[in-house]
Parts: sequence; C-alpha cells; structure tokens
Amino acid sequence: MAREHLVIVGNGPAADEAAPFLRKGVPDARITIIGREVVSYYRPDLLPDFVAGKIAEEDLWVNPLQFYKERDIKLRLGQNVVSVDFSKMELALEHKEVVRFDGMIIATGGKHRIPEPLARFRELVLTLKTVADAKVWIEKLTRVESVLVIGCDLTSVVFTKAILSLGKQVTFFFDPSSPHLFGRSESIREQLAHKMSDLGAEVVDCSKIAKLVQTREDLIEVTTEAGQFRAGAVGAFFGMVPDVKFLTGSGLHIERGILVDEYLQTNFKRIYAAGDCAQVYHPELCDYWVSIGYSNARELGRIAALNLAGEEVQTEAPLSSIFKIDGRPINTSWWMEA
Amino acid sequence: MLRVDVTVEVCGTAGDGTIAAGGLLNQAMSESGFSVLGFDSYPAEIRGFGRCVTRSRIGDRDISALEDTANVLISLDDSQSRARIPFLAPNAAVFFDSNPPTYIQEEDSLTSLLEPGTVLCGLPIADLATEASGSARGRNLTALGGFAGAFGLDPAPFRKVITRKFEAKGAQVLDANLRCFEAGYDFGREQLSDRVPEIFGPRNITEGPERVMLSGNLAIGRAAIDAGLKLYFGYPITPATPIMEYLAAKLPEQGGQVVQMEDEIASIAAVLGSYYAGSISMTATSGPGFALMTELIGLGVMAEIPAVILNAQRGGPSTGLPTKTEQSDLHAAVFGGPGDSPRIVIAPTNVEECYHFTMKSFRIAEKYQTPVIVLTDFFLDNRVENLPMPKAGEEEKAHDNLYPSESDKGNYKRYAATDSGISPRSIPGTEGFQYTATGLEHTEEGIPDYSADNHMLMSAKRHRKIQAALADLPAPEVISPDGALDVGVISWGSTFGSVLEAVHTAHEHGMKVGAMKITSLFPYHEDLIRAFMNRCDEILIPELNFGGQLADLIGRLHGKDVIRMNRATGVPIAPSLILKEIETLVMEGGK
Repeated sequence: MAREHLVIVGNGPAADEAAPFLRKGVPDARITIIGREVVSYYRPDLLPDFVAGKIAEEDLWVNPLQFYKERDIKLRLGQNVVSVDFSKMELALEHKEVVRFDGMIIATGGKHRIPEPLARFRELVLTLKTVADAKVWIEKLTRVESVLVIGCDLTSVVFTKAILSLGKQVTFFFDPSSPHLFGRSESIREQLAHKMSDLGAEVVDCSKIAKLVQTREDLIEVTTEAGQFRAGAVGAFFGMVPDVKFLTGSGLHIERGILVDEYLQTNFKRIYAAGDCAQVYHPELCDYWVSIGYSNARELGRIAALNLAGEEVQTEAPLSSIFKIDGRPINTSWWMEA
Repeated sequence: MLRVDVTVEVCGTAGDGTIAAGGLLNQAMSESGFSVLGFDSYPAEIRGFGRCVTRSRIGDRDISALEDTANVLISLDDSQSRARIPFLAPNAAVFFDSNPPTYIQEEDSLTSLLEPGTVLCGLPIADLATEASGSARGRNLTALGGFAGAFGLDPAPFRKVITRKFEAKGAQVLDANLRCFEAGYDFGREQLSDRVPEIFGPRNITEGPERVMLSGNLAIGRAAIDAGLKLYFGYPITPATPIMEYLAAKLPEQGGQVVQMEDEIASIAAVLGSYYAGSISMTATSGPGFALMTELIGLGVMAEIPAVILNAQRGGPSTGLPTKTEQSDLHAAVFGGPGDSPRIVIAPTNVEECYHFTMKSFRIAEKYQTPVIVLTDFFLDNRVENLPMPKAGEEEKAHDNLYPSESDKGNYKRYAATDSGISPRSIPGTEGFQYTATGLEHTEEGIPDYSADNHMLMSAKRHRKIQAALADLPAPEVISPDGALDVGVISWGSTFGSVLEAVHTAHEHGMKVGAMKITSLFPYHEDLIRAFMNRCDEILIPELNFGGQLADLIGRLHGKDVIRMNRATGVPIAPSLILKEIETLVMEGGK
C-alpha cells in the first residue's frame, strides 16, 4: 500500500518547523517540502547582517541537509508550485510535474509589496527577502556609495542600520501617508525618524515619488515632491503580502491571505495554512489576522503540523505578537496586493 | 588541488544527440584551454533505444582519470537520466527540460528523485530549440548552450566547434544548430547563472604546443600508420572497431590496405602470413576475438613470426559486457596459449602511450620475431584526452629485423640458437636463405624434430629471446618520495591514471605513499618491481577484474601478501576510491 504523502509548500520558518513535527506525528508518511528557492531553509531575519558582512553565508543556514535525510523528509528545492487541484489532491509544478498528496500545509510566506507608483520602476528597485536578494545587494554595494531606502517596515529599519555600518550614505524616505506599520503612529514615526538620524541616515518625509531614472550604471535619479535625489541603489520596503497567487482558482478561500480557522485548517479537509500566507481567525480581534515575524511563523507551522497529524491544537497567538500601536491591537493585513 | 575540476555528464536516449553534445563539449572546453578527459558510455545494441551517457572531466591542470561522480548532469531524456542520480556529487547542477510536451507524474520525474541540495537548472529545451530553428532536433545543442551560459563560459569556442562539425552539411543546418546553441546560451546566462558558480581559469592557450582531442583508438591508428603499417586484417568488434574504421579511411592514402576478414582466426592468420612475407601488419580485437586467435598466436611463437595484436579489453567472459571496461584479459594475454608459448605483452596507461606503445610494438615484434600483444581497455580506447599530437621520432620508427649475413648463404639456420635467442630472419624467397616455417617443433634449420634435447634447446631459445626483450621494453615508473613508504600502489592500464591522482592527493595530505606504473606485463622487470615493493610496508594493487590478475602475476615478489583491490563493475575505478583504500591502509599501519 502506498504511503500517505504529506506536502509542505514553502520552505520558510513555518514550513521548516512543521516538517519535523509532522514526521513525529505521522511516522510512516512520505513528507515532502517544496520550496521555490534553490537553497535550503535559512534565517531570513539575519539577511541584513549577511548584507552587512557581519555573518557569513553558512551562518544563515538552520539545518544541514542531513537533518532532513535523517528524518526522511524530502526536500524539493528550486521547484515552483504553479497550481493545486484540491478535488484531485494534485499539485502541478512549473516544470509540468504532477504530484499527488493526501494532506498539505501551505506555508509560502509573504512577498514584497511594491506599491504604485513604484511598481512602474520595479526594475530599478531592490528588495530583501531571499538569499538571492541579499547577494544582489552585496554585489551592488561593492559599486555604490549611497542608498535610498523607501518605506518604513521592520526590514527597512534593520537594513538601514546594516547599510550604515558599511559606511554607506543612506537617505531614508519616510512616507507619512503610508498605511502600514510605522506609518500609522505619529509617535512611533517620530521616534523612528530620530533614531535613523542619530544613526547617520538622512531622513526625508516623502510620500510621492514621481520618477526613477537610471542615468548611469551606478546612479539612479529619483524625482519626488520633496525634490530630486540621487543614489547608487534604491531599496523598497513596504512590508509583505501573502504569497498565494498560485492558488487563485483553486477553490481555496482567500481574502488577502488564505483564510483558516483557529486550527489553521482551510476550507478543504486536511489542507492547512501557516505563517505569513495565512489569515487566521482570532476571537479577540473578531477578525482574521496575518502573522508577521519569525517566531509567529514557526509557532503556526508547528500547530498546522500537529493538526494535520490528527491533533486538535488551537492557535493561541499572544497579543504581544500582534503589533499594538497606541494601545490597540493592529491587524497587519490591511493592504491589498499591488 | 585542481582549481577547476568539473565533471559533466550528458545523458539521453540513443538518437538524442547525446554523444554529439558530449563531443562538442569536450572540443569546446579544449579550445578554451582546459584539460579534458571524456568518456562515452552507450548501449551494446546498435541503435534506437538504450541509455547514452558522456562524461567529461574538465580542469585547469592535467587530468588522468575520471571521478565516479558528476558535478553537472545535462539531461536530454529524464527517464534515462534518473539512473544517473546516484552518480551525482553533492550540490550537483542538473539541467533538464522545464517544459516537457506533456504533464508527467511524480514517479516518472527526474526532479522528484534528486537529493536535496541539487541545483535545479530547468530550461525549456525543446521550446527554445523549436523557436530558434523550427524543430526540436537541436535540443542537444540548446541544452549544451544552457550549461555554457549558466557557467559563464565563453561561447566563441562552442560556436567554433559547432561550425566545424556542421559546416559540411550546409549553411542551413549549421545556422540552425548555432541558433539552437545561442538560444540555450542566452537563457542560461540570463536565468540560471545565479545558481551556479562561474567557471574561470583556463590555461593560457598560447602556452605550449597546440592540443588536439584524441581517443586511445585514434592514437593507435595514427601510430600504426606512422610505423609504416602496410596491411590491417580484422573483424569488427567493440571496442576495437574504431581502429579498423580509422585505418580503412587513412591507410589507403599511404598505400596500405585494410581487409575485413571472415573472423578473427583468419585475421591473425593473415597477419602472420603478411609478416612472414616481410610486410608489416596488425590486427585489433577484443576478448572473444582474442580467444579465437589463441592457436595461431602459438604458431607465431613457435615459427617465430612477428605479429602485432591489439586486444581492446571489455567486460567478459564470452560476449560479456561489450560496452563496459575491464582489465580481465591479462592472464589470457600472458598465459593464454597451450604449450610453453612466451609472448610479449605491453599495456599503455593513457592516450599518449597508446600511440607510443603501438609504435614500439611493431619494432619489438620485428626485433624479437614474436607476437606482441598490446593490451588496452574500453575506457582507454574510447576516452578522449586533449594533448599535444603525439609524434614518433625517427629512432622509434626504425625497423629492427635482424637479417642474415651474406656469409650464411647456403648454410642458413633460420632458428639458430644464439645467446640472445634472436636468430637472423630472411625474407622468404631470398636465394640461399630459404627455410621452412612450421608449427611443429623444429631444429635450428627449421626441420621438424621432436627429440628431447632439441625441444629443450628450442624452448630455451624462445624463452631467452622473450626475456632479452626486457632491454627494449619500458621499465616501470615510480612516483614517490625517497625512502620507506607506508603504502605502494602498483597498477597497469587505464587504472593507473586513477592511481596517479590518488597518490598525488595522498602526498598533499602528507602520506608516505608511492605509485608504480607497470607497462611491460610480460616479460616484466622483476628486479625493479621487487625493489619498489621492498620499500613499501603494504602493496596495494587496484585492478578492473574480479580476481586480481596483476596481483597473481607479480604478487609473489613481495615479502607478504599484496592487498588486492578488485573491481568488476565495468566502469573505471575512481581516484577517490583508491585514496580511501590508501588512507585506510596508512591508518591501519599507524596503529
């Protein structure tokens, strides 16, 4: 008799945490992780330090490949799921391979949101989500002396510090009208602006960017309402949106992320979602919330695995992990995909 | 350590253009200045199905062996390539068609079986080829282009070798193939180059003599022509057939002829007849054909007629493994004849030696008036190396027949029992120097004689002659530091390349290890071999046969049992395997 096949789509913190718990809960199952990146699981929160040269690439890796081998967890790296048919319990990979499964945890995380009007200049703007992104930055920073950081999410702050530590000039575009995390609170915004200035960044209030033009290989001219700026590289940091586009038309209930109940189960039996791609119903908010952050993702990954293995564990996301601003818990999933 | 040391496999089904792609890769890398050692593996069946694999090891220093794992797999047929997965090195890059014509199930997929850490380099091979040329026939070149682009290789040498291969087929064919390559190259450069490291550092190609890609078989064919070959008699058999094909094309240009005989018995008979009549000739065969020649080789020994016989070894016995390599005919070559029939057996270890030893075999056969067996093997015959074109000096080419002196006229003893055992040999029909050549035991004059004294006299003469040949046969070569050694590795044939690399690596690791290459397998340089053995605590003999045939032959010269490393796997022994064995022996010796 064929072994039950449990698939984890994604290879971030939630997926990586889910896999060993799944193995423990379903010892006889065939377990496969399918990840789009060609590298195995790493600490995404350490990428700014990697860009800054504070840690080596090998310090990013969490588990050696042997870890998965020993647990009979199959890693399919560099493979991209393009569609899922939940009625047949089959997924299709980009290279036209069809994989059958008996249960699934979707843990694809988030992807960078590039809002208009920046989306038109996508080619000129760098982000920092993956090791590959980090390597692009590392290579770029060998050739440029100044960086323009647009947006104000968590990564932008850490990244700015990292770039400053390299002795680069940083102009930090602070968008007061931004609807995302720091933009919501005047006091946080001010504190952040001071902090950035203290560190050596030039902080500019700027909400409208009209144009980005590459004038030289190592020079981009940025036209804004606040004037013209020049930088060697431009980074955009506007937070993440759930990476679930490949599930469009699958019948899965999706709002911004995949809608799951407090057990992280989707509207399909034995299909769970965890981490940044999931919108988890939370009784206190009486709403769905999207987790952000490394620890939250791992916790949700663990719960999804336990439940797929047959347990009934409810999510208990501590409110401290949902950002509170001005004393109010904030649902961080209000933006729509660009 | 090699700075660039990449093993690339191309795998597909017969008809996919796998061997062509591998050949072009070898040539392009050679043109780029890299050292290349390539080897093809294909099914024994003629065409239409079966797995084809080319393996190319590419480095920026000289390479003498193949490793048993590949760093890159270019798949032209995933159903065939799946069998190559166990032979992939950790973190290997796999190039495959990312948009096959139909959806495939997981159980039939190449990517479903790859180990974690394998770098997937999918490219729409058939789509790109079709878009570029209107047909998917150039898929092999598109895949090759994808590889070259991803690794940042200079496309110019690839264009050059593709042009060289296809220009004779017309501009349209050439253009289509070039476009297929370019399509793959651009895709690889743009989409895949961030996944694999760039390959840097080819040798300065302006340094040293120009290098050519040469297989062992081709080197043998060239050597035969350079030696003045007049007649080739043979019957096709893998892996020796390319020698016959080459000579069929080239020998007539030199005034010679190739004759396809009805079988191997006829082939060796014709060679003996030709030599008897004074014309230089040869034959090439493999194990099954060599077995058929046994009786007539005995005739050559008894009648003291020169012959050059090339035995390209393959997996045996019987039909065995026609397209796999093995070193299991050593005993057949040295001992494989009824009666006391000593013969000369030599074995080259690389392509350059294939040339020089073939050349030498003609001279030795003529000088010592006896069959000379050149033992190669499938791996050596079919592998290609890029090396300066071997060329024999005039001295190497010189013929060495001992003709009778005029004073012997009328009193000629064709089989005179001289001190060296070599008797003057006249050309039949020369007035005053006629003699009878027979397979019967005979007197010094060639008259049949079965008396005890005569048989002893003539047997001793024939053995004496063979032992005397040692003076003209290549002595064993030793690669080692001075003084006592923990391990000495003795090897012959193509396996020596792997031994050499393993021993070099062992030296880099500070081990007291030496290597000895034996190319004269009979007679052999007993004193030199024993002297080397005496310096070594342990003697390791890796061989591609099941029982350890060289170990049987020379093992008695060591003060204690030699350690056999026998492999009958049909594939070359990787240097890493030999190194592992050396390390174990060194560690055990240190306890």
